[in-house]
Order: sequence, then structure tokens, then C-alpha cells
Amino acid sequence: MKKTLFVIGVALLVALMGGSSVWCQESIVIGGVAPLSAPGAAESGAEMKVAMEMAAGEIGKILGKPVKLQVEDTRGLPEEGTAAMNRLADAGAVGVVGEFHSAVAKAEIEAANERKVPLIVSEAWADVITGKQYPYVFRIAPANSLFYTKVADWVKSIGAKNVVAIVENTDWGLGVDTVFKENLPGEKNINGQAISYTSIVAERTVSDFTPQLLMYKSMRPRPDLVMDIFTGTGEYLIVKQAAELGLATTRETAMFPVGTSALYPEYWETVGEYGVFSITKTGYHPLLGVTPAIMEFNKKFEDKTGKTPTFAAMEAYDSIYVMAKAIENAQATDGDAVLAALEKIRYDGVLGTIWFSQERKPDYMFHQWPGAKAVLIQYTAKDQKYTDAELLWPAILKP
Amino acid sequence: MELFVAQALNGLIIGLLYALIAIGLSLIFSVLKIVNFAHGECYMMGAFFSYYFSTLFGINPILSVFLSMAAVFLLGVAIQYLLLRPLYTGAVERKDEYAILITFGLGVFLQNVAMSVFGPWTKKSPDFISGITGIGIFTVDNNRLAVSGAALVIIVALLVIIGMTFVGKALRAVSQDRDASAIVGINPHRMNLLAFGIGVALAGGAGGLIGPIFLISPVMGILPGIKSFVIIVLGGMGSIKGAIIGSLLLGEIESLGSVFFLDPTRGLAYKNAFGVLLLAIVLLLKPTGLFGEKHVRME
Repeated sequence: MKKTLFVIGVALLVALMGGSSVWCQESIVIGGVAPLSAPGAAESGAEMKVAMEMAAGEIGKILGKPVKLQVEDTRGLPEEGTAAMNRLADAGAVGVVGEFHSAVAKAEIEAANERKVPLIVSEAWADVITGKQYPYVFRIAPANSLFYTKVADWVKSIGAKNVVAIVENTDWGLGVDTVFKENLPGEKNINGQAISYTSIVAERTVSDFTPQLLMYKSMRPRPDLVMDIFTGTGEYLIVKQAAELGLATTRETAMFPVGTSALYPEYWETVGEYGVFSITKTGYHPLLGVTPAIMEFNKKFEDKTGKTPTFAAMEAYDSIYVMAKAIENAQATDGDAVLAALEKIRYDGVLGTIWFSQERKPDYMFHQWPGAKAVLIQYTAKDQKYTDAELLWPAILKP
Repeated sequence: MELFVAQALNGLIIGLLYALIAIGLSLIFSVLKIVNFAHGECYMMGAFFSYYFSTLFGINPILSVFLSMAAVFLLGVAIQYLLLRPLYTGAVERKDEYAILITFGLGVFLQNVAMSVFGPWTKKSPDFISGITGIGIFTVDNNRLAVSGAALVIIVALLVIIGMTFVGKALRAVSQDRDASAIVGINPHRMNLLAFGIGVALAGGAGGLIGPIFLISPVMGILPGIKSFVIIVLGGMGSIKGAIIGSLLLGEIESLGSVFFLDPTRGLAYKNAFGVLLLAIVLLLKPTGLFGEKHVRME
């Protein structure tokens, strides 16, 4: 009896082990990383996840094997990002795409490089992400320096003299602040006047910005532009509190919430009429040109969620397709083969033809998609969708 | 000078909000002799209850706050009865560790429940009074004025209840000596229920009041929970007077300190550190806090 049980046990074990190996061989795992819960920007993470699932579902099979998408919640925390990357590598992910927070992406690129798993960063902007020039790291989102130097040009072009900012203490926030510090103080605006730039750095957990906004309000001359370099709740609170104090948006002072959170319906729920005439940025706007690919994606996304997608969703969607095409082109699933295919890729996605630069100067251009666009828009009515907002400043980003 | 006055006024408003949360924590400690590490999450639950009462059922926002206090009170009574009562019935040997584990675990549980049920999105409760009022260079949101007023009323009402009613005397008696109070006919278990319920209801009320000002999300309670602990240590564990004065001090030092710091552009980054610095100085000079008595352990 004991012998029979032993034989059955061994047979079961062999079947399970064999089964799992067959299962592993029969699917191609693509990993996804995104902040799906607080303190991360969950609204962005949620739409990125939906977009990734849409893409993976449409692709269906790569190299004749079904695609399995495994999305991990990084919660906006670097340690969670590292853990997620390691979990995905352990699960046999051929490549990983996604991420929203630069601080988390900064941790993830270390794990990607160490585990030799190609990573396409979809929506994290800090220069350092591609600036470290890790071979396994690619990026679709623009680098801070690529975009915000252009924003600095826009600030000069509107004749602003006194620019102030409240900056979140993260890699993204401090990166944006650095670009402005390098490109604004002492520079001349369109009227030949010297520009001053003052920034205050704060923890992401701060909820009362009133003391600093009061300080800005007492400045003479009054600030022309308030830069709200925050994401999530902090971004909403700065817009709200600046308006409550009568600082911005007013005739004298414009409000510029820089983070992606200003593109979501929650912006209007939380700031209400104070958001009217605020300026923000987006990587997609219909006036930039609506291609059939964008129309198709928007329709599918809206049918699925009832919401208008932002460029974060488009980047995540394209990232999955780019990774899938690279695996297909490589005809292999090992990291080095996929990496080589990614370096040669040209993929016509929702946001344009995606390819990755091999330039090493400036450092952030390595494995960076140089075609990423971002524009400035201004809301002109309460509850306005960002796609209906006025296009304030178009800029096609070039290295 | 005008900027100083404006900052001081803002500090006073913030201090009153801190007081509402911290008093509850202090009351719980004085009677139950435990630190409620789920206090911040009770504050968060109050904010969500108030939000849904007013948005789903169309109840007046002020009334919603009081209803949310009642809901959090019931939640607190249930928590005390089901999870904390064993501390006082002799069923638990390592009481301090049990209290820490239970309240800390409860905090994590409530946060995750809120995340699943309410979603991770940031929300704003309806305004109490819309518009703004100008006081010199200080333009203040009417909601902040309304909330400060409401906080003041609740604090005064609580002080009256604690100081002048039979229930208040009974609570104070239990906080001083559980056995002696039982001898004179006060039921300590009932006072435990009441103190925990009132304590978390105050936090819930603060959450409900804060909704239109600082917005609400499942993680909104983490920092206020920590700050209220700093406040009650600063004011003296278990001292309600200490909690009020500690709250006002913290509100002022955060508001003034973050602007009049040597490098004002870095002041906001050190905002949370000012409170800890104040705490360290006070504890060095007066180890029991401003109005604290010699530490009393749970028997």
C-alpha cells in the first residue's frame, strides 16, 4: 500500500513539474508595471493597465504561443518597483513595459539591467532613466530635458518675469525643477526683461501649501506664473489653495499644474471652477492630428472604460505592441535577442512611428524615442475634457 | 508683519483641525491606556462616510459630518468590544504588544478595505460654505472658517462633557483608577466602550470636516495619525488640555517655520521635521510632555 502511494506521489510530482514546464513553454509572458494604488498615481496606473490588457488581448499570440500579460502594482514606491521587476523576472517575463513614477522607474531599471530583462519605460520622464545608458532600458515617454527646455522657451515667449514653483521631492519633480533652474533665471523674456525663478521643494505627503502660496502672493512684482510641479492629490491641492488665496488663476497670475493628474475627470471633481484657465501639458491632443490608429484606440478604450484615454494609456498600449514586435522580430525569447531587436525596431503605433535612438549625447537620448510629442493646453470651461481644451503651445520634440 | 499675521492665522486654523484628531487619541489613551494606531484610519473612514452621506443621499454636508461621527462611533464601539475588550478581562497576557498589534493591524485593514470599496481616487466633499473671505493679504476659503468654527464648538462641547457631566466624571475616574472607580459603581468596561467610541468619532468628525479642504483618499490618515501621536506626546499622554495646546503649537510652528526658515525655499521640505524638533526639545526639558503626568501603564 505504501509502495503504491509512493508511486502515485512520484507520478503526480512528475506530472505537475512536467505540466508546469510545458505551460511555461507554451505562453510568452510580458510583464507590466504601474501604480495601481496609493500613494502612487492610481488613476494613471489604472488606465495604463487597461491599455496594456487591450494590447495583449489584441496581439493574442507571439511566435505561435499565447501572450500572457502579468501586471504588477508598484504603488509609486521604488522598493515595490524593484520587487515587481524581480517577481516578473522570476515568472519568466521576456520583457517588461510600463511605469509612471520616475523614482520607481529608477529602481526598476537597476533590476532590469541586473536580471537582463528588457524594459520599456512608458511614462516616466526623469532624464536619469535613459541617462544611465543601461542596455536593457528603453523609453517611449519624453525625457524631462527634451520637453521642459521647450516649456522654458514658452515661458520666455509669453513675457513672464516672475515665475514661481512648488516642486514635489521626487526624481521627476526635482528633474523638472533643475531644467527650469538651468533655463530661466537671468534669461531675458520676449520683452527683454530678466526672468526670476523661485521654487520650493515639498514632500509628496504635504497637504497644506497655504504658507508658501501666501509667501508667493506677497511677492512684488506678483508672480506671472505658478508652476505646480506635483502629481496626484498634491497637484489638485495646489491649484485649489492658490485659487482660494486669490493667487492664481487671476488676471495677473497663471496656474500651470504640470503633472498628468490635471487631465483626469478627478481634476474637476476636486478643484471645480478653480481649474478654469489653468494650463497643463499633454502628450496627445486632437489638434496635433488624429490618425486612424488613434481613433481606433480611443474608441476601443472608451467602449471599455467609458473614459477618454490620456497619453499615458497610449504609451502603455504602444509599449506592449513594441515589445511584442521585438520578440517576433527576434524569433527568440532571450533578453539579448529581444534587446537587439528593440534597437532596430520601427513600429507604427498610436503615438507615431516608434524607434529608439542610439545616440549617447546628451546621455538621456540613449534608447529614447525621439519622436515623443507634448503640448501645452489651457482649459477654458469647467468640466472640460482635455481633448476639448485650447491648444496653447505645440512643440514637436527633437533632440 | 502682514505676512507673519497671515501665517499665524493659518497656523491657528490648522492647529484647531489637529486638535480635533489629537483629543480623541488622548481620550482613548487616558481611559484605555493604549495608543490607537488605527486613529488615522478612523479619521479617513469619517471623511469617506461624510462624503457618501452628502453625495449619495444628498444630506446637508454639515449634517453629514455629524452622521459620520455617529457611524465612526458605532464602528469604534464594535472594535473596542470585539478586539480590545480581552485586554481588560484578563484574557491577554502581553497587553501592550496585543494592543499595538491589534490597532496597527486594524489600521492596515481599514486602509485596504477603503482602497477596495471606495477606490484609490482622490475625492472632494461638497463645500460647507462656498466662496472666500479677505482678511488683509490673507484670503481664506470659507470652508476653513466654517471648519475652524465647527472644530472649536466640538472641542468646547467635549470639554464641557468631560468636565461637567456625570459621564465625564466617570471617564476621568476610570482614567485615574479603574479599580477604585469600579468600587464606587462605575462600570469600567462601559467607559472603555464610550471613550474609544468618542475618541474615534472625534477623529471621524475631523475627517468629515477636512473633506472639502484637503481632499480625501484611502491614505489620507497616515500623516495625521502620526502627527496626532506627536501632539499627544508633546502635550502629555492622556492630557486633553495638553492635546489642545500641543495641536495649536504644532499648527503654528509648521505654518511659521516653513516660511520663516533660514532658507524659505527649503522650509516646506522640513515642515514635518519642525514638529519632531519641537517634540524633542519639550521632552528634553519636560520628559512627561507639557501637561503629562507620570506614565501610567495598563494594569
